[in-house]
Amino acid sequence: MFTEVLLALVIGGLIYFLVQRSKNQVLTTEDGWWGSGAPRDAGEDDTIRSFRVTTSDQELEDLYRRIDLTRPFPSLEDSQFNYGFNSQYLQKVVSYWRNEFDWRKQVDKLNQYPHFKTKIEGIDIHYLHVKPKKVPEGTSAVPLIMVHGWPGSFYEFYGLIPLLTDLSNPHDLVFEVVCPSIPGYGFSEAPHKKGFDSVCAARIFHKLMKRLGFQQYYAHGGDWGWLVTTNMAQLEPKTVKGLHLNFAPPSKPGLSMALSMMLGRHFPKLFGFTDFDIQRLFPCMEKLVVEFIKETGYMHIQATKPDTVGRGLNDSPVGLAAYILEKFSTWTSHDFRNLDDGGLTRKFSLDDLLTNVMIYWTSGCIISSMRFYKENFGQGLDQHLIVYVPTGFACFPNELMHTPKLWVKQKYRKLVTFTPMDRGGHFAAMEEPELMAEDIQKFTKIVEGKVKE
Amino acid sequence: MAYIVYKRKKTRTIPLGDGWWGVGEKTLSEDQKIYPFQVETSDKEIEDLYERIDRTRYADPLEDGKFHYGFNSTYLKKVVSYWRHEFDWKKQVAVLNKYPHFKTKIEGLDVHFIHVRPPHRENQKVLPIMIVHGWPGSFYEFYKILPLLTQSRDGVVFEVICPSIPGYGFSEASHKQGFNSLAAARIFLKLMERLGFSQFYLQGGDWGSLITTNMAQMKPQCVNGLHLNMCMSNSGFKVLLSLLIGPYLPFLVGLSREDVRRLFPFFEKNVFEMLRESGYFHIQATKPDTAGCGVNDSPVGLAAWILEKFSSWADMKNRDLEDGGLERKFSLDDLLTNVMIYWTTGSITSSMRFYKENLGSNLNNRVDFKTEIFVPTGFAAFPNELMYCPKSWAQIRYRNLQSYTFMPRGGHFAAFEEPQLLADDLFNFVKKVEKS
Repeated sequence: MFTEVLLALVIGGLIYFLVQRSKNQVLTTEDGWWGSGAPRDAGEDDTIRSFRVTTSDQELEDLYRRIDLTRPFPSLEDSQFNYGFNSQYLQKVVSYWRNEFDWRKQVDKLNQYPHFKTKIEGIDIHYLHVKPKKVPEGTSAVPLIMVHGWPGSFYEFYGLIPLLTDLSNPHDLVFEVVCPSIPGYGFSEAPHKKGFDSVCAARIFHKLMKRLGFQQYYAHGGDWGWLVTTNMAQLEPKTVKGLHLNFAPPSKPGLSMALSMMLGRHFPKLFGFTDFDIQRLFPCMEKLVVEFIKETGYMHIQATKPDTVGRGLNDSPVGLAAYILEKFSTWTSHDFRNLDDGGLTRKFSLDDLLTNVMIYWTSGCIISSMRFYKENFGQGLDQHLIVYVPTGFACFPNELMHTPKLWVKQKYRKLVTFTPMDRGGHFAAMEEPELMAEDIQKFTKIVEGKVKE
Repeated sequence: MAYIVYKRKKTRTIPLGDGWWGVGEKTLSEDQKIYPFQVETSDKEIEDLYERIDRTRYADPLEDGKFHYGFNSTYLKKVVSYWRHEFDWKKQVAVLNKYPHFKTKIEGLDVHFIHVRPPHRENQKVLPIMIVHGWPGSFYEFYKILPLLTQSRDGVVFEVICPSIPGYGFSEASHKQGFNSLAAARIFLKLMERLGFSQFYLQGGDWGSLITTNMAQMKPQCVNGLHLNMCMSNSGFKVLLSLLIGPYLPFLVGLSREDVRRLFPFFEKNVFEMLRESGYFHIQATKPDTAGCGVNDSPVGLAAWILEKFSSWADMKNRDLEDGGLERKFSLDDLLTNVMIYWTTGSITSSMRFYKENLGSNLNNRVDFKTEIFVPTGFAAFPNELMYCPKSWAQIRYRNLQSYTFMPRGGHFAAFEEPQLLADDLFNFVKKVEKS
């Protein structure tokens, strides 16, 4: 009896020790420099400059001329969106773009929030910094960095920002929001050197927040933003108070995940699977493998030949629109592939969709945005390090990769909230800003409450 | 005994089927005439091209990126500068027209082809042959080998038909879904029939090898011999076994030393290489309409997309070069002429759809992949071909392999790169078949 207790204590102690060890395991990184040529000896210019999005008649004329030069190729009879963006519907979108879309008005809309640029590691980083107008007595705004993905941009958050920064409900927290553009996307300069991956972006964003005077902050992300904010939490777990995600594909299946794939259909309760989980995951082959292959052609080519695939898209605005908007169709719901119009305007307005496309077009950043795939896949996407920072996960039903609670917990050990949402897909912040804001509130309140204890 | 023979005979062919790919409903009768065709251009076409080239918005390549991220922008500027200021499209059109072109309607589509008769036919054995191109190639890839094939050797000479796959170049693109290699094979068989050939040879690489294989499976009685420079090996049990045992006891699984050298380490060489090079394949097989959209407006984008293949598929090591080694085996005039065929016909999107139509459903379950080929076959194995296929693997499906030749040099675009080597092997193969 005594030996058993002793053995249990020893084993327990060993496990605890190991857990503690991995708890102290932090992602390490070295400094980088991404400007062209060699870094200059003189210290880096770390001033923060105001920035405004601008446009010109010339820019619009060039756009219109290119649109007019489009050589459309009709889609096959009755193929809807199954071969990609339907050509007939694309003509309608382009016609709106050419004749009704008002870019100047959209530029004013973009400028409603203050934009800035500052040089970090040799490149200009663009970001929005939105301070709340009113902060309740005795409290301070909660700093929050929100990171976008591909083919999105900071603009995806324009519906969400006011819900977080305008105090409507006195019981809610109010946030101070920073939305950067990942280097190589939109108005952030593209790295000139090879090797710029999500860890580099995370490191740069930490430097940005520090430069703005923040010591501790929350982070939110989806798509690539998920990986960048996760890396931020892995780099500096003490700095990131809470991590809120709407996308968390597991990189490597652990034991519990593998078991759940084999047995989950027959023993759902064992793995905490809901009916919806079962519906989205099984049969595994069809739902996970086949669907994955059908939708990841873009990922494959961008992760191997970004300069080639981006080349034509930087000259043809219609080609760029088709490439980007196809994702806003299919990633909002897979069923949209069977619709003649791809269901594009069911959840989004053409104005918002085209504004996002224009950010890629006017900045000419499509190639550098694609290179991020190669840089991230090159190293092996996964930083297997467990994340112990308090995490909140918003589970949207039409997200590309469905992750049940069990799978999220594989990596995010301190899962504070896991919210199954009623509706919404991959571009959740843009599609369902109210639901997202609600969840961020809920999550942050719990973490802040805990901290107060 | 007779029953066994009967059973074997049963699996020798695949059904011919039928199809209609034109707009709307099928017409009652089809115009069977063959019309001569000339490639044409106009000042307007060239001006439009130049305006688009001048509007190109380049982006800097990453420092020291070479061709690892795709087509290098710095080198692309050089190619485009040549295209804009020195390439003479009118002159190239005249080159294209030096062989007679024709068009004829089959299954609702205008099928384009060139028909090259040998200049001297007296006392020669004239063998009709159809040569089929692939992607991103065209009938133009064969312009170097045509003079070699139409010149007699030891009393043997070829009469050559080079069609364009529907959806490529001057052949009309299908308007209906489902146009795959079986449909193309059937259409090409009808073409040969319409031209009055009852017996002929076939040659093909890339999609051409699949289409000609299908043709041999559909009407083996018409095909005297099938010559390929690319074969897609079957991932069957035999292949798996040779992968496991091959590195250690190659002879046991029918692999020669040369096979071993080219195949192993299998994973590094083939699987990762394939992953690195098959992004285009993946996106074209799933979203061709999206992928083709931008490159149909941007000639420079189209050139980068197509020419990147002429770089890496001639030799994978070209990715380590600043200029992608493009001009080592090809002239810019030839490369750009091929690109111009895609550009002036606006056929890039339909050419990409062929990938989806063939690979949409699992290829291994298709009837042609379960059927063997009994027609005399010859295989030319070029060292830098994309996927290496040892003789023993080829024999899994090509049951009548008459010749298998290791080529000393050359890659995927064999006819374009090494016309002499390919012509030599073709003549050798054909002589062997004619003797037996």
